[in-house]
Amino acid sequence: MIEARGLSKRYGDLVAVEDVTFSVQPGEIVGFLGPNGAGKTTTMRMLTGFLPPTDGAASIDGHDIFSDPLAARRAIGYLPESPPVYPEMSVEDYLAYVSKLKDVPRRSRREAVDRALERCGLADVRRRVIGALSKGYRQRVGLAQAIVHDPPVMILDEPTVGLDPIQIREIRTLIGDLASVRDGKARTVILSTHILPEVEAICRRVIIMSRGRKALDAPLEELRKTGSLEEVFARTTAREPAALEEAQA
Amino acid sequence: MRHVGAIAGRELRSLFVSPVAYAVLTLFAVLAGFFFLSGILQFQEYVLRLQAFQAMEQLQELNLNDHVVAPFLHVMSVVLLFLIPGITMGLFTAEKANGTQELLLTSPITIWELVLGKFLAAAAFVAILVVLLAVFPAILFLYGDPEIGKTAAGLLGLLLVGLVYAAIGSFASSVTQSQLVAFFLAFVLLLVLWMLGFLADLGAAGGAVSNDMVGDLLRWLSTAAHFESMVMGLVDTKDLAYFVVMAAGFLVLTKAAVESVRWR
Repeated sequence: MIEARGLSKRYGDLVAVEDVTFSVQPGEIVGFLGPNGAGKTTTMRMLTGFLPPTDGAASIDGHDIFSDPLAARRAIGYLPESPPVYPEMSVEDYLAYVSKLKDVPRRSRREAVDRALERCGLADVRRRVIGALSKGYRQRVGLAQAIVHDPPVMILDEPTVGLDPIQIREIRTLIGDLASVRDGKARTVILSTHILPEVEAICRRVIIMSRGRKALDAPLEELRKTGSLEEVFARTTAREPAALEEAQA
Repeated sequence: MRHVGAIAGRELRSLFVSPVAYAVLTLFAVLAGFFFLSGILQFQEYVLRLQAFQAMEQLQELNLNDHVVAPFLHVMSVVLLFLIPGITMGLFTAEKANGTQELLLTSPITIWELVLGKFLAAAAFVAILVVLLAVFPAILFLYGDPEIGKTAAGLLGLLLVGLVYAAIGSFASSVTQSQLVAFFLAFVLLLVLWMLGFLADLGAAGGAVSNDMVGDLLRWLSTAAHFESMVMGLVDTKDLAYFVVMAAGFLVLTKAAVESVRWR
């Protein structure tokens, strides 16, 4: 579903992401972890076609992001760090607009919008103006925008940031549903987060980024054998080995 | 190209939700009314004076097109210099501020579809302004007999000038994050473009632009001369080509600027 081979992003001398390779199979939910500035967002932006990689290649659902960018982008639902919404639009107008951008055929647009509203719990606020919604609802609108065209691949950058505990639980359930098999198609989700329990709750596999490189890529079960996720995270992303020893002493 | 309509439609709707569109429409209508009325009054006074002096020859030459419609269209083309940047300043800057640029650039649309959609929205607004303006010369047809061809050519000229301004405004909006900067950049670019002809004449008079080629190029680049000939009723393919080349040129620049976000 997602193939990344040697993805790198450099800004002059500054290396944001260096040689990241991984692949994600249909039906997988992968947690993308790492401290701030580790290159999570940059990697996601390269996969979605927002930023071109300096080096390396990637394909989404079999479409190369360079040679067939439109097909690759059509296969992705992307929720950026801040939900990309127009404050002056109503929720349903906005989703209808996104469904046009994402090439949902005209006759199934209404249905697609209704389904996204329903799944994200937005049916009650469908005619409200987005600018007047609370942060939690705006985040849900962002999520609805990412799934309106029922894409095989979903890339979610911190989907639960700014939500209250109940909303977080709802969104987690929703993300779990998203990857489940529907109409005989399995879907893939990559999500980045800082909340480790969230990863334990919904992901089956973890990729940890550290200083622009992939530091760890393993199924969650395997990690549990070696200790808690928090320990693994601290160990993998420690800036200096010496500093870690100091902290442990 | 199937996304162009969707993008233009959304843009127009959000323009009419914001106060900017109404402020521009109101200002435009008020200024047009003011300049039209003062044009008519001046014309009337001129006619009365010529009659008092029994200057029959000059009275014969007097007509509504040259003495009312043409000055009116000229003044309104100057008004467009600062109103169109108000319309175009948000085209791309608002997408950057909302973070919706990330949605657009990760959607299966091409950058041309995005740029043309935005331009189309601005162009539609310009067309609304020109239609609004056409009401004033239309009043003249009720009470006098101006030439319809000449009037129509002048209005078409104003529309084309407006479209070039809209393309320049789109470009200004695509190179900055701030609406204010986009407004002033567009305004300055338009002002320079409008004054190029004068600059060439000044340069020629002062001897700074001794090279005729440079002077001719500056005069050709300026909107003023091309607009002038259309107001006089001449619809020449050379002038039409100028408007097309200018608008297309700035749209190409806009496309490059939008695309450059990816490479930064």
